[in-house]
Amino acid sequence: MRLPRFEYVRPQALEEALSVLAQSGSRAKILAGGTDLLVNMKQRTVCPEVLVSIKTLSELLMVSSDAQGFTAIGSGANLTDLAANAGIAEKFPAFIQAVRAIASKHIRNMACIGGNVCLDTRCWYYNQSKLWRDARERCHRTGGSVCHAIKGAARCHAINSSDTAPVLVALDAKISVMKKGENRLIPARQFYCDDGIRNTILEPSAIVTAIHLPDGNGAGRSAFIKLSMRRGIDFALCSIAARANINGAGVTDVRLVLGSIASMPIVLEKAAQVIMEAGLTQSAIEKAGEVARTELGIITNLFTSAGYKRQLAGVLVKQALNELKGKTAKRGGAKA
Amino acid sequence: MAKKAGHYTVVGTRQPRLDGALKASGRAEFTDDVVLPGMLRGKIVRSPIPSGKILNIDTSKAERLPGVRAVITYKDTNGLMSGSDKFLLCENMVHFFGDEVAAVAAVDEDTALEAAELIAVDYEPLPPLLSMEEAMAAQAPALHDFMTDNIADEVTMSFGDPDQAFAESDYIREDEFSVQPTHSAFSEHHIVLADFSLPDRLTVWTPIQSSAIIKSSMASNLGLTDSSVRIVNLHTGGAFCGRGGDKPHHYIAALLSRKAGRPVKIMCTADEEFLVYRGGGKYKFKLRTGVKKDGTLMVMDADLVHDCGAYMETQFILLRFVGSNMQALYKMNASRYLGKLIYTNNPPYFFHHGAGLVAMRFAIDSQLNLIAGELGIDPVDFRFKNAVEKGYITPAKFTYASCGLKECITKAARKAGWKKKYGKLPAYRGIGIGCGMLRSGGKGMYDHDNSSVFIKLEEAGKAALFTGLPDMGQGSHTTMAIIAAETLGIRIEDIKVVAGDTDVTPYDVGAISQRGTFTTGNATINAALDAKRQLAKTAAEKFGVKPAVIIFQDRKVYPKGSPEKAVSFEDIVYATLHSDEGRYVMGRGFYNPPSGQSDMSKYEANTALAYSFGAQIAEVEVDPETGMVKLLRMTVAHDVGRAINVLGVEGQLDGQVFSGMGQTLFEECVMEGGQVLNPSLLDYKLPRPFEVPEIERIIVETSDPYGPFGAKEVGQGPIQCTSQAIANAVSNAIGVPIKELPITPERVLKAIREKAG
Repeated sequence: MRLPRFEYVRPQALEEALSVLAQSGSRAKILAGGTDLLVNMKQRTVCPEVLVSIKTLSELLMVSSDAQGFTAIGSGANLTDLAANAGIAEKFPAFIQAVRAIASKHIRNMACIGGNVCLDTRCWYYNQSKLWRDARERCHRTGGSVCHAIKGAARCHAINSSDTAPVLVALDAKISVMKKGENRLIPARQFYCDDGIRNTILEPSAIVTAIHLPDGNGAGRSAFIKLSMRRGIDFALCSIAARANINGAGVTDVRLVLGSIASMPIVLEKAAQVIMEAGLTQSAIEKAGEVARTELGIITNLFTSAGYKRQLAGVLVKQALNELKGKTAKRGGAKA
Repeated sequence: MAKKAGHYTVVGTRQPRLDGALKASGRAEFTDDVVLPGMLRGKIVRSPIPSGKILNIDTSKAERLPGVRAVITYKDTNGLMSGSDKFLLCENMVHFFGDEVAAVAAVDEDTALEAAELIAVDYEPLPPLLSMEEAMAAQAPALHDFMTDNIADEVTMSFGDPDQAFAESDYIREDEFSVQPTHSAFSEHHIVLADFSLPDRLTVWTPIQSSAIIKSSMASNLGLTDSSVRIVNLHTGGAFCGRGGDKPHHYIAALLSRKAGRPVKIMCTADEEFLVYRGGGKYKFKLRTGVKKDGTLMVMDADLVHDCGAYMETQFILLRFVGSNMQALYKMNASRYLGKLIYTNNPPYFFHHGAGLVAMRFAIDSQLNLIAGELGIDPVDFRFKNAVEKGYITPAKFTYASCGLKECITKAARKAGWKKKYGKLPAYRGIGIGCGMLRSGGKGMYDHDNSSVFIKLEEAGKAALFTGLPDMGQGSHTTMAIIAAETLGIRIEDIKVVAGDTDVTPYDVGAISQRGTFTTGNATINAALDAKRQLAKTAAEKFGVKPAVIIFQDRKVYPKGSPEKAVSFEDIVYATLHSDEGRYVMGRGFYNPPSGQSDMSKYEANTALAYSFGAQIAEVEVDPETGMVKLLRMTVAHDVGRAINVLGVEGQLDGQVFSGMGQTLFEECVMEGGQVLNPSLLDYKLPRPFEVPEIERIIVETSDPYGPFGAKEVGQGPIQCTSQAIANAVSNAIGVPIKELPITPERVLKAIREKAG
């Protein structure tokens, strides 16, 4: 498949990139690894007039720890490099697990973390060739007013299938967003929107420059599990990121976040509450799994039915909680 | 050929593929690598609706676009048909999403793409018929105006006395099975380069299973003589029964080239692959089987309805193939078959992995497992008891000169540890057996099944083997080189295979219907023997003996009984080529198996001389919470007659376990509104090497009396066993019958739930 025509710009510094973006507005798209964008361009779902390459911007390649207790990872960090970064893996195992679960080795060699954090949503009725899309009534995303995935839906329900997004939300990460003359640090949970068309708050003229992961106090445990049809390269049928603080006082700050099941990562408040009240007991874990299934709202049914995705969500909640429990037991054992 | 296994020098060894290094290093030449001077790029304008009328086609804007060299519509085709029921370019009706409506050729791909988008077609959509049920409903309109209903073809076959056999049965069981549409996912997309810039000369570069079929079809459809058409078939990236012959894109490229006066290349893009490819369609089997209490199989009655999509293609062959092969694996007294092809507005389908037999074997072997369960007979014993044997003649008159089915069953069961495992595995672990068979031979495509081979000897004692048999990845050229080397008494590295150009290579029906090793293999032996005869003349003169006593072995030539007199093969070749008369050595061999021609009224004939058989045992683990199935281990036994290339046979076994697993557990073209919802390798869940199970291989050698060195096929035979082995294992693991492929996690979970109530 062929790319549409576009103008290619490669700024030498971040400031310059921000200026170009400020001028171009929605006519421009940021090109980093291009592993998602170029496919979408070939399918003509996006046809930017200008591609702004940020691949060589050194400002986006930093990995550092700051005074506020955060580790900052530049958005341009290559996924293969990141997957091999032992220091980050030690501190944030669930995050690195998610990085390693992205696509395939070949794609990770090209792609960067910023791209996965900002991954565009997908839908079987949208991510198709132009001929394919044209065969159907226009949907919310192609300028119409129907949803083919969920009949009768009033908005677009395309899915956010980023592997890292649920982890960032679960870990209370912050996302550094810059545009000309403005630099903001946004909690991950507020970064994502429940909208299949505009799934992040990112404006066309803005760039994600880094993600900031909180170092925590040592009591944190985290897990990431991705269920997909095949290993190697696949978007998740459903994924989960879980974290909790586990210490003598009990289990606090439980976060259960599902990915690849809606337009944004879904935070399971009620299921988490079950654990915070009862701890990581077997019966509480079972109950949390059941609660998770009922807690979910509308689910888009791609490849599987909504009911099956609900089932997977419950299974993943239990698996993730068991993993947290196992990690606690192991660490406890080591100390003793 | 009288030698026993183990006495061969090259046959039965492990030879890496001749094209292996070329492919691994990117040097192998494929059609897309061919660039001709002045070559244009073509694009096809396709229907964006599954059913409708064409009201108007306006090509004027496209024709005015700079760089466009030719635009064609129905008006340029002279009513040319592609198959029996399809206009090459639609005249006033479109019948599926992707139907070919117009085409353009331009100086580059971007211009061609732009021009294609400038062709304005007005359609009046009609309500499409998207399922067989809709199409068969009494009030359904006929999809094609030359039909009164949507039954594209219908076949009934009856052998023996089915009513009597059912009456004599102690137990009768009826089930329904279905198989969803699949896709081959060729590594090389559909592609053609056609040069028809001179009116009496058409050259077509394209990956194809049979140069012979496409050559004769294109010649007759375009009003050319056979010799005016040249087919060049370079390396081919996969076929799996799906590249049998000419398809619309071949003709479209030819017509564009004729109009533009330049060569035209059309390469289908990734999204077009799912529109162009005619994959395995949807099957529904209703199966009724009668058995005796002791497990003796008596009779089978099958109703097949098959969604052939908008056009019939060659699916009428599939319809007959399924019926005549139904009783070919297990002995039975009688059978009855009713097969129907149903027109729908889905994409047209074609063969995939053995023309419908994979679906049929899944249905039959799955039902036999259910029957064995009801009768309390071990599934392995049940199959062994009813398995066909050497010398057996099936109701459709297939005659088994060699047959290792029982050996395959026994060896697979032993190696898999069946007795220790069946019924004794922990919860959600399962084991299952599946058997299959397939003919080696392509009789039926034509009234003959010819292969011919030339072997030219060159000075340094090397040989060039000319064949019209393509190698789509199955390793057929390596097999032919082994057969030639063995027969000539030289090494495989002394053989060069020249293939894929009908101006150069001799006639061969092609790599269809598992005929390569068997038929072209026999032709290769004959060509090598002919070359040897020519060399023996020189050697006989030298040694002063009769040519008949000259032995060729290990690159040496000597009179029988006097190996000490041996001279090198190279010297004999040199002496012949440089003899006073300048004897040029060109061995010529041909082979047309004296198999029977199927009688279209009774469908009884031994249409091949050799048949392969196999048994596979699958072990699976099912996650009862997600329904996901992990294929842990496959034990594969296949009767190949003789393994010409052990490494090649193993590759075929592994490859087919992989493909069979994909078709059984992962792959499905999810259809909605006449469109494939998942037309990409991302969403069509083709497994990857990570998913490959542990594979135990057992090569059974029954030395077929007609096969080259006793060899039969290993082309698509092994995959005839795979689906039912896995399905039976899953069924064994969850305690619920599996009646639909693919066995997706959701279907498994649903089955578990239904059992639990």
